[in-house]
Amino acid sequence: MFRSMYDTDVTVWSPQGRLLQVEYAMEAVKQGSACLGIVGAKHVVLAALKRQPNELSSYQKKLLEIDEHMVVAIAGLNADARSLAKYMRTECLNHKYVFGAPLQAARLVVDVADKYQRCTQMYVRRPYGVGLLVAAYDATGPHLYETCPSGNFNEYVAMAIGSRAQSAKTYLEKHFETFKYCDLDDLIKHALKALAGCVSSDKALDKASASLAVVGLADDGVAVVSKLVEDDAVQPYLDAIDIAPAAVEETKMTDEPPPDDTATIPPPEGEQAGDVDMS
Amino acid sequence: MASTGAGYDLSPTTFSNDGRIFQVEYATKAVENSGTTIGIRCSDGVVLGVEKLLTSKMLLKSSNRRVATLDAHCGLVLCGLAADGRQIVGRARDECSNYDEVYGDKIPPRVLAARLADYVHYFTIHGALRPFGTASMIAGYDPCTKTHELYAVEPSGVCLRYFGCALGKGRQSAKSEIEKLDLSTLTCKDALREIAKMIHTVHDESKDKPFALEMAWLTKDTGFEFALVPDDLVQEAEAWAKAKLEEDDDDDDDDDDAEMTPAPPTDAASPS
Amino acid sequence: MAGGVAEKMESSSPMRHTTRPIVTGTSVLGLKYKDGVMLAADTLASYGSLAMFQDMRRISKTGSYTLVGGSGEMSDYAAITHMLEDLDRENKNANDGFEFSPKEIFYYLRAVMYQRRNKFDPLWNSLVVGGFKDGQPFLGCVDLRGTAFEDDVVATGFGAHLALPVMRNKWRPDLEEGEARALLEDCLRVLYYRDCRALDKVQLSKATSEGTRISEPYKLETDWASASFVAGPGGDLDGDGGW
Repeated sequence: MFRSMYDTDVTVWSPQGRLLQVEYAMEAVKQGSACLGIVGAKHVVLAALKRQPNELSSYQKKLLEIDEHMVVAIAGLNADARSLAKYMRTECLNHKYVFGAPLQAARLVVDVADKYQRCTQMYVRRPYGVGLLVAAYDATGPHLYETCPSGNFNEYVAMAIGSRAQSAKTYLEKHFETFKYCDLDDLIKHALKALAGCVSSDKALDKASASLAVVGLADDGVAVVSKLVEDDAVQPYLDAIDIAPAAVEETKMTDEPPPDDTATIPPPEGEQAGDVDMS
Repeated sequence: MASTGAGYDLSPTTFSNDGRIFQVEYATKAVENSGTTIGIRCSDGVVLGVEKLLTSKMLLKSSNRRVATLDAHCGLVLCGLAADGRQIVGRARDECSNYDEVYGDKIPPRVLAARLADYVHYFTIHGALRPFGTASMIAGYDPCTKTHELYAVEPSGVCLRYFGCALGKGRQSAKSEIEKLDLSTLTCKDALREIAKMIHTVHDESKDKPFALEMAWLTKDTGFEFALVPDDLVQEAEAWAKAKLEEDDDDDDDDDDAEMTPAPPTDAASPS
Repeated sequence: MAGGVAEKMESSSPMRHTTRPIVTGTSVLGLKYKDGVMLAADTLASYGSLAMFQDMRRISKTGSYTLVGGSGEMSDYAAITHMLEDLDRENKNANDGFEFSPKEIFYYLRAVMYQRRNKFDPLWNSLVVGGFKDGQPFLGCVDLRGTAFEDDVVATGFGAHLALPVMRNKWRPDLEEGEARALLEDCLRVLYYRDCRALDKVQLSKATSEGTRISEPYKLETDWASASFVAGPGGDLDGDGGW
């Protein structure tokens, strides 16, 4: 990568009007394992790929509960994410104490994004090296936000971040217009199918690495609940989808234009189909 | 770009030997690379319009607004880094609320613009900070003098009052378009269309990302309350602009057929 | 409090904040009825026993759904109104389709009042919060200690003694607007007759599915010829046992 004298401090503009340190921090998000989110009519589904940094260690948690109506998925520096999550939890609790009702996700996300931004304009701190997907169901319905180290945030119908997220994005872009008509099971299927494309060649999407979160209206149509689905509980959902063929088909259909993606992504999925009996 | 480097361009606290502060100029670059932003002070109000580039088709159109309401009687539009812009918006809102708290009255737009410029300027004089990569245009109504005003605050802290102002990528051609208008008689309704046309003209569909046209105004009809322009009006303005542009294109084609000199509008349309 | 005074007090005696209100408003009344919620209050601000300001409007709107009425220290009420204005401004600026419900405003005021009480620096008010949102009427009361409760009828100040029994007797969930108004006016009249800090100039307000409205101040019809107010031959008040 091109190095210059403008890329070591956050507070220095490059002659092109760019902030290279911030851009580098954005790269940290791409190093994290993938996670994605999908917004349905009454739910938001998050799916994330967990990594096991060491064979003797546990898998790194990717989904953090913030409040009863909010869950975040993280990609990037885990420790940075935890401090942001702590802030978000505190804000939610405070709001609930003061107003007796859950905090609107949009308002919290702005505050979090401002927190990111302040680190990009002061010499004393480094930018956060983590991106969040914030899934929430509040008074204005289901929402999915993405935050990133630059302090930008956006609201999406569906989004994926982290390594190999492009594959998931391609899948989601193909289907996102149908999500609002999907029931919860279909949303989860879409999420897992999209996630399958982000698995690296030597790994497989299994119950240990896949994790899911659902935020939305409970069956009674009134209460808002969030639920993490991990480990054994993921298996039924994995069983319900036919990952390998679908994923291969998707990539064939959509990834042809950008040759880079086809070069790296489809073969692993072919192998994966052989490795794991998914159907 | 003028001379760079030589170590005199790494901090806002360093002057170059010819008396420039490069860090501020670089920050201005971030504004210049951003989506075109236009503000027009009309006879019956102020209209702001911005080309909000969309990074993904899965993005919600309402997401990441470039226009912000500050108080009932004023608002602004941002050009440059959105994240930096939120800091400016936050400060502007604080100024509005503080003024109200202290004086029990709405802050006059000129005071607001000046105070905001002070804030932005502060970031150009400290080594531990960096200048904002965002410029803002403020539309406001002064209930005392009963005037509506348009201001622009640049990353350097410069603050000027305008009749028409353009920032961002397509500012040059937008500016020359604004100059052709008669701003003393132009109404807000017409300005919506003109702005839509300017932004559609400077936007290069083959090269640039898709965009959403975001507009806000403050007009006599709405009691000079700052508000987003209703969707149907924006769509109507865009439809008009597109039709108008096609018309112009046809004209150009005719010109070409007649082997006349290359049509000047196309020149104006390409951002320089 | 001026810095000098505070310092002097600190050196000689423990820190002391407001221990009594100065300029005060009296009762605020509120009730739920068929279409929503109605609040009523007179427009007097008293300086001790002096009827000092006769056009003090003690019911205010915040947002599109909520009314807040205040009795007690009027400067504190103004400060509270200001906090609510800031809250409303933030809300409007966010422009995201969300607005606080009356219940959330009520919780907020409760939190503010309770926090101030725990600092031993209370805002000396009893507040009535009334509102209507999403088909749901809301009526609640918060006092200077942060005590907060909801009810179908509420009254602060002297009203809690004089008006509340009347309101509880006559209240039905299906009161028509006219009936609700008549009931509140009756109560205001009783208060004007019996509470020396009350006035016959009053404001009525309502929160319904159509939003919130506050009336201009108007004069209550009163009748001092009523037997209980007429002095007997000896100069003493005589009559039906009113005294």
